[in-house]
Amino acid sequence: MMTRYGMLIDTTKCIGCYACRTACQRQNGQDPAVDYIRYEEREVGTLPNVACETVPLQCMHCEDAPCVKVCPTGASSIDENGVVTVDENKCIGCKYCMAACPYQVRVHNAVTGAVEKCKFCHHWVYEHPETPSNTCVTACVTGCRIFGDLDDPECELSRAIVEKNAQPIMGDLTKAKIFYVR
Amino acid sequence: MSDNALTRRSFLKRSAAGAAVVAGSGFVGFSAWEQGQQARAAGTKKAVHSLCNSCSSKCGFTAYVGEDGRFTEMVGDKDHPYCDGTLCARGYGYASIAWSEDRLTDPLKKNDAGEFEAISWDQAYAEIAEKVQSIISSDGPQALAMIQDPRPSGSYYTARFMNALGSANVYTHGVACNMSKNSGMTQAIGAADFTADVANAKMVMFLGRSYADGIRPSSLHALQEGHAKGARFVMVDPRYNNSMHFCDEWVPIRPGTDLALILGMAHVLVTQGTYDTAYVEQYTVGFEDWAARLAEYTPEWAAEKTGIPAETIERLANEMWEAAPQSCIEQGWRAAYGCAHQNSGETARALCLFNTLLGCWGLEGGAYMPASASAGKLSDPKFAAPAKPADKILGQAEYPLSSGGMGVSTYALSQVPEGTVKGVFFYQSNCVAGYSNPAQLTEFLASAELSVAIDVQLTETCQACQYVLPDTCYLERLEVPEFVGGKVPVVSLRDRVIEKVHPNTKPVDEIFAELAEACGVGEYFQFTVDELADAQLQTVGLSLDALREEGTHVFEDKALKYALKTSWGTADKKVHFTSEACEKAGFPASPGWLEPKVTPGEGEFRLIGGKQAIHTHTQTANIPALMEITKKYGLERIWMNADVAEQMGIADGDEVELSSETHTGRTRVKVTQRIEPTSIYLPSHYGCSVPEQKTAYQVGLRQMDFVPFHIEPGYGGTMSQETIVTVKKVGA
Repeated sequence: MMTRYGMLIDTTKCIGCYACRTACQRQNGQDPAVDYIRYEEREVGTLPNVACETVPLQCMHCEDAPCVKVCPTGASSIDENGVVTVDENKCIGCKYCMAACPYQVRVHNAVTGAVEKCKFCHHWVYEHPETPSNTCVTACVTGCRIFGDLDDPECELSRAIVEKNAQPIMGDLTKAKIFYVR
Repeated sequence: MSDNALTRRSFLKRSAAGAAVVAGSGFVGFSAWEQGQQARAAGTKKAVHSLCNSCSSKCGFTAYVGEDGRFTEMVGDKDHPYCDGTLCARGYGYASIAWSEDRLTDPLKKNDAGEFEAISWDQAYAEIAEKVQSIISSDGPQALAMIQDPRPSGSYYTARFMNALGSANVYTHGVACNMSKNSGMTQAIGAADFTADVANAKMVMFLGRSYADGIRPSSLHALQEGHAKGARFVMVDPRYNNSMHFCDEWVPIRPGTDLALILGMAHVLVTQGTYDTAYVEQYTVGFEDWAARLAEYTPEWAAEKTGIPAETIERLANEMWEAAPQSCIEQGWRAAYGCAHQNSGETARALCLFNTLLGCWGLEGGAYMPASASAGKLSDPKFAAPAKPADKILGQAEYPLSSGGMGVSTYALSQVPEGTVKGVFFYQSNCVAGYSNPAQLTEFLASAELSVAIDVQLTETCQACQYVLPDTCYLERLEVPEFVGGKVPVVSLRDRVIEKVHPNTKPVDEIFAELAEACGVGEYFQFTVDELADAQLQTVGLSLDALREEGTHVFEDKALKYALKTSWGTADKKVHFTSEACEKAGFPASPGWLEPKVTPGEGEFRLIGGKQAIHTHTQTANIPALMEITKKYGLERIWMNADVAEQMGIADGDEVELSSETHTGRTRVKVTQRIEPTSIYLPSHYGCSVPEQKTAYQVGLRQMDFVPFHIEPGYGGTMSQETIVTVKKVGA
């Protein structure tokens, strides 16, 4: 049975602590400079009525993925579960996908020459279909993140998206599969 | 393309060979992610329990190690009172210290040119022992001092080594952490600490302590839980810190004036008669003295000092009383007053007394004393402790209110040029970069007859010493079991996760046992750490093997039971509004206002420090995974209030020159509304001056360079925020 994996990120709980980034790198054996998650921080108001927000951004696994469309070698593609993948053996490092990504979440690995990005921990997820999760989800100290199958209306993710009216960060632009509470 | 260019194909060949060399480092180049994921998802794994070492919380976690010895994953303990199931960014990042290219690998000795040369362990032990014995024979054992940042084995072995030599001078990092807080609290309640029941409170006021920046995961979870239950959390801090996500009100305060706020709020409650009169009557002494003293500390007076409107102070006091006894002022730690100002000890004392007015002690939603567990007495005579040294720890007489368990390490160092102290040891302590002014501390150490630093990487402290001994890192050794208090106390184990990366490094237990042998006191170290750990655990009905399986053992029978606390650790078991010891040390009997040592004037600022979520002091700055974050997001920048910056013509990202009486340096500035106008915030992690720390070297400025060497009277704190700075735009 096909699944359509997605995620919710509740920025009202995000303290900007970077645990998701360092956990992702450690648990997946990544180089310190290769970051799949980047952060945008925003501050509003004047002292003492100030508010700030940290928005973690990573591959949104778009259904309408600009990176896939511009890839000249077919290295970027969408697998049967909706996960956008990069075949590093086909990637020629042209960076078209980096330019095309509206979320700017693809990184060029200076060592391998290939472009990388969040992979929704697909090995783990496919080996554990009953309890699919992502490193960034389990690592989050404040529980900002929920991972699940968007096609399962009863799963925690789908219910939370409805309950919290979570929306993709750029609306319908690319049919992104990460939904934000802000 | 040159012949040497790395093509994809040649790279793949090399990375396959390279993978074997760096196995376990986690960073194996091409397809690292694929390998890592596959190993995690499907590989056969061995689970080993350990304690994180990225900060003093030492969270329990299980490390998963693949068949190839590769350390693939770490999962935080649900049962560990500090971890509560999640680790923080530092924990994941700091694990790479084992494979750091900047590890110390051999014993080092400084030559006449001031350069380090590798020597053998035998030579190091022999030369150090000779100097130790020479110092003892000429000046006695009190001329030796040990400074260490407490870790399970480190605390045990350093103290045992020093006591075996006859010296009482075992110091922690306390002067630059929570010593003033602990010492002040001890004067009021006979205990060095308490815990605000944040998860169940109706209202908690935080004095600059941010659970979301200096992260202990369980504290953050409690903050979230309380927030979700509708508690009112008030953050009193010069900065709008990251805990504000779960707080209801930011009260910007001029740093160094928390005491004035407490006195102002106490004035309101006592004047109105809105406090727990029954508790005060039955379980305290000296209230009348404080009540009389409070008369002058009106909200209007406190407003002048703190910059907080008088009506806000009055409102906050009344809100705290309305929420009582499910309310308190949170205990704090290092931030923001633990060692920061001339009035830090007195602030801690006043804080406890304000909480006493609320009648919150021991109650659910109030402030409780954590339940604890500990190992019993060991029956085997080989574990018998050396005789207790006759003398008190040096500095206790000069700083009579200072906690003897921590000791005034900076005072001890100041006695090196005086000849009172001649030999100094450091264990996992970067004292020179973090405890007080680095130039001054380096100068003190220069005249020592013996100086030895034991660490995993070359620190500023190592640089200032004659001998440097290479420790194993925390992932490479078993340590003495760690008993941790909390709502439910536990014992937790740091076991060996990986084999030694560098064969000539040694674990702390071996270093001190062998050094003791060389110094002629080896009879106190006739056991292995495995035997010691097992013996300690047997006293609580466990064994080393059992704890290796379990990782963290929970003492359910010792769990906290909420009940009004009516008996205290003071001599007469009461809360002390007045303290004879404080009076003797030159303070008022009950806490009154004490000005900070310095106060910024026109065009000046107070330099404040504080943690960021990805770093611990200067310990983690050389970790590439963490420093990459600093660099990418400009986290080394100082913070300046946006309105002030506009007046000074300084824009976000500008390079500025920061100057104090001791130091001048350049850095970039973050212009923000998140800081009150009289403060400049400099994150406490940067400015490493050791070229051998290739990642950290010269990134940002070091807070302590800007702070003069001085010591808080009576309490012994380092007064880390008693310094005035000016800011000038570079090129303006």
